[in-house]
Amino acid sequence: MRRRKTVYVDSDILVVGGGMGGCGATYESRYWGRDLKIVCVEKANIERSGAVAQGLYAINCYMGMHWNENQPEDHVRYARTDLMGLVREDLGYDIARHVDSTVHKFEEWGLPIMRDPVTGRYQREGKWQIMIHGESYKPIVAEAARKAATEIYNRIMVTHLLMDKQRKRVAGAVGFNVRTGDFHIFRAKAVIVAAGGASHIFKPRSVGEGMGRTWYAPWSSASAYALPILIGAKMTQMENRIVLTRFKDGYGPVGAYFLHLKTYTQNAYGEEYEKRWYDDTKALVGDYIDQHPVPTCLRNHAILKEVAAGRGPIRMVTKEAFQDPHKETVGWENFLGMTIGQAVVWASQNIDPKHVNPELTTSEPYVMGSHATCSGAWASGPEDYAPAEYQWGYNRMMTVEGLFGAGDAIGGTAHKFSSGSFTEGRIAAKAAVKYVSEKGKERPEISDGEIEDLKKAVYRPLEHYQIYRNEIVAGIVSPHYILPIHALQRLEKIMDEYVGGITVNYMTNEPLLTRGLELLGMLKEDVANLGAEDLHQLQRAWELQHRLLASECVTQHTLFRKETRWPGYYYRGDYPKLDDKDWHCFTLSRYDRDSGKWEMEKAPVYHIVN
Amino acid sequence: MPTFVYMTRCDGCGHCVDICPSDIMHIDKTYRRALNIEPNMCWECYSCVKACPQFAIDCRGYADFAPLGHSVRVRREEEKGTISWKIKFRDGREKDFVSPIRTTPWGSIPSPAELAPPTPEMLKSQQLAHEPEALKISALPALKPGQLKQGLV
Amino acid sequence: MFISNPFAELSASVSPAVMQAYVVVMAILVAAGTLFDIIHKRSARYFFDNWRESKTKARQEIGAGRMVTIALQTAVVDVMASGEFCNAQRRIAHLLGMYGFLIYVVTTVIMVFGYPTPATPAPSALTILWYIGALMICVGGYWFWFFIRVDVAAEGNSPFRFMRADLFVVMLVLSATFGLVWAGLQAAGASGSATVFLALYLLATTVLFASIPWSKFSHMFFKPAAALQKRVAEADGTRSNLPAPADAPAKFGSPAKHAHHY
Repeated sequence: MRRRKTVYVDSDILVVGGGMGGCGATYESRYWGRDLKIVCVEKANIERSGAVAQGLYAINCYMGMHWNENQPEDHVRYARTDLMGLVREDLGYDIARHVDSTVHKFEEWGLPIMRDPVTGRYQREGKWQIMIHGESYKPIVAEAARKAATEIYNRIMVTHLLMDKQRKRVAGAVGFNVRTGDFHIFRAKAVIVAAGGASHIFKPRSVGEGMGRTWYAPWSSASAYALPILIGAKMTQMENRIVLTRFKDGYGPVGAYFLHLKTYTQNAYGEEYEKRWYDDTKALVGDYIDQHPVPTCLRNHAILKEVAAGRGPIRMVTKEAFQDPHKETVGWENFLGMTIGQAVVWASQNIDPKHVNPELTTSEPYVMGSHATCSGAWASGPEDYAPAEYQWGYNRMMTVEGLFGAGDAIGGTAHKFSSGSFTEGRIAAKAAVKYVSEKGKERPEISDGEIEDLKKAVYRPLEHYQIYRNEIVAGIVSPHYILPIHALQRLEKIMDEYVGGITVNYMTNEPLLTRGLELLGMLKEDVANLGAEDLHQLQRAWELQHRLLASECVTQHTLFRKETRWPGYYYRGDYPKLDDKDWHCFTLSRYDRDSGKWEMEKAPVYHIVN
Repeated sequence: MPTFVYMTRCDGCGHCVDICPSDIMHIDKTYRRALNIEPNMCWECYSCVKACPQFAIDCRGYADFAPLGHSVRVRREEEKGTISWKIKFRDGREKDFVSPIRTTPWGSIPSPAELAPPTPEMLKSQQLAHEPEALKISALPALKPGQLKQGLV
Repeated sequence: MFISNPFAELSASVSPAVMQAYVVVMAILVAAGTLFDIIHKRSARYFFDNWRESKTKARQEIGAGRMVTIALQTAVVDVMASGEFCNAQRRIAHLLGMYGFLIYVVTTVIMVFGYPTPATPAPSALTILWYIGALMICVGGYWFWFFIRVDVAAEGNSPFRFMRADLFVVMLVLSATFGLVWAGLQAAGASGSATVFLALYLLATTVLFASIPWSKFSHMFFKPAAALQKRVAEADGTRSNLPAPADAPAKFGSPAKHAHHY
């Protein structure tokens, strides 16, 4: 095997992932830890990495407390309603009370936020959303992180977190440089995981060239979950995948259309259809259908029922609104600012929403923790008010000592979006500085044996490919290895067919999930034989392994929760109804990497009461 | 194919290789110019398109659903703080848009290390950097421990 | 050594006619290779088809006077000053290599044909130019190769990794390097090692000119055409479908710099 250079990087605080959460964590770490060495490591380039790489046209989490627009409690109630009752209200409140300071700093740093010409306040798109010209949102935020960090390492794919010799606390991370191939060992006193959620674990609707046009970025490779899972951190609500109603093929956002442009949906025959499914939905979920606004999953549910009844496609009625030139501009700029691919689709198919009502579709499921869903790690709550059961250490510390998280990595906190993820990074960073200054002063010891083993494992796909490539004349078919794309497509097919993807209309049950786990188990064995031709493929190989472990976790959680909590996101055919008596709780999992077994448990839900 | 590179425009500077979030823009071994090596992992995020100083990168919508003949091109001018778009439909219709991208000079964000250092008491509080001033309200809100209860609401 | 004509010295062992024949063969290889490249890849056909198509889309007619100006701009800015490069270092390296190569080739031809033997001494200005040309190639070429090359700067590859795109530039710097070493050794009277480097010099030079269909050599012919087309697209209003520059006044001076860490 080719000798790979090993590079050691010591730090006090290591931030894994340089997206919104990671940039927030890096910035805040420096504020509180003036003398600390703060290192941020990112698999792409923080200038354009993470889910906001493309830009955003709205900030979806902003209270406006100084204008008395909303209070943190209101946001908690909103998220609770939207997620059918199950969110970590202590964590959600915590983000909501801090998020305004984050947004105000963004504006100060140069992010153009639109203003209402009459009131002079931020231009509201909806109750929680404000409109921005956010093409450079990520470069601006990255600049703040660059100024704050001691060092930023771009193009390093982190593959594993490290525990100390006693397996008591987190000790750092390892990964490889996607360009030079060097092996990097990051030793740290505290680690903040701010990596990305998961696209491409369920088969996408487009499986050809267009498979890249997933709703969530294709580079969101579930590292937010796999990294902590592998060292035994508890995960929560991993079954709570999200399905998005979006413009067809490009998955262009609908938020501004609904909220700001006041467009609405109808079936293929120009009829309102949501009311038609009211009784049906009520029978499944009871009073939850009477909430305002109607939970996202239940609106999906009405679309799915209407399409199954043969009255699809569902269309967005844009023709009226788009007669107003200002609204037309907003409609297009909304795409150009955050989903350019949708503008490409409309230009290519001659769809001008001024003259045509564009089709909508429901996407394949995604697993993430920052949008209208809340999968992620089980984290300790804020010290000043979180219930005892939610407090075992520092704020946003996972169930592994010294391991913190933010953004997609932290579970239970839906609707944080970009601003909330950055804010959560700040919260986690302050706690991590506190941890380093109080408890984690010594640098944890790392076992050299473990490092050697990891180094071998990390490069194995390259070596395996080189050796067994000799077996075949040419091409990509080998009996000894599969390529990352092969494994990815098998993973997507298993998840799609057994765990409730698009081809089964989001339906699953115990026998399907059990079989799905068997097939995932075989895939897990097969990925020991992944082949990678070059360093780019090696990155794909590790992204795949992160996705696979997260998928297994999703399937275990889906099997554990014996109810259908979020119709429209997925259905348990064997338990078709919402069951508050037994399942008004969080689901928790813990993976044991030695045995490969999962332990499942329930955790209580605490609500804010007046 | 999502993004592609015009042979005669690219001068092989490598900005797209540096910026691509999906690590799919690489340098061709025969021509030392850029190419998209994995179109099915391209998000059409336009990060490379915007970063290209030669306007050598363009986008052709995904073959499985986008008919040919369209064009969505962009000019990002950092020194002016603007981004301009031209959308061309398959049938030739055109739309133009211009938006601001930043209101302050690039590089002007101060490091948090330039601020007055926080006291040990502040580290123990719940306040984050710049708070409460940046919240623009007098104090950080908080729940009381008893306000969180188990049960249905 | 800079005033000695290495080809005249060589005429003691190799007849000038052979040297002249070699130069002629190389010129034929360049012409034939370029023609083959254009015809085989059908790049000329593409260029003219594209030219015709873009003309039908033109929003404004380009008059003959304007066209001459555009051609002049292309010649001066893009061709003679390597104006297409966005990276200043690359532009300087390219200018060194380009003008070094031109001087190197032209002085070689003049010396081989005009001053082939010690009986016809070449003016020292001419021989010095030959050495300067070769040195310029080396400075521009090695600087590019080890530091600025995108494979090293952006891809993070080792500077010693060789691929097909390197054929042209490597043969060019080797030709100049071996040529200089050979000339130096010959002038110093080290005839044995001079012969070795003469062989290497000839090998590199022959590969440089004979490998045109497989190397990037022909870029010097299609690059100017592409530069012209780019300027025409601006002038005729089609602007390659790009939006016009924004009319907002310049506000900020320092574009963001991307960080490298490899």
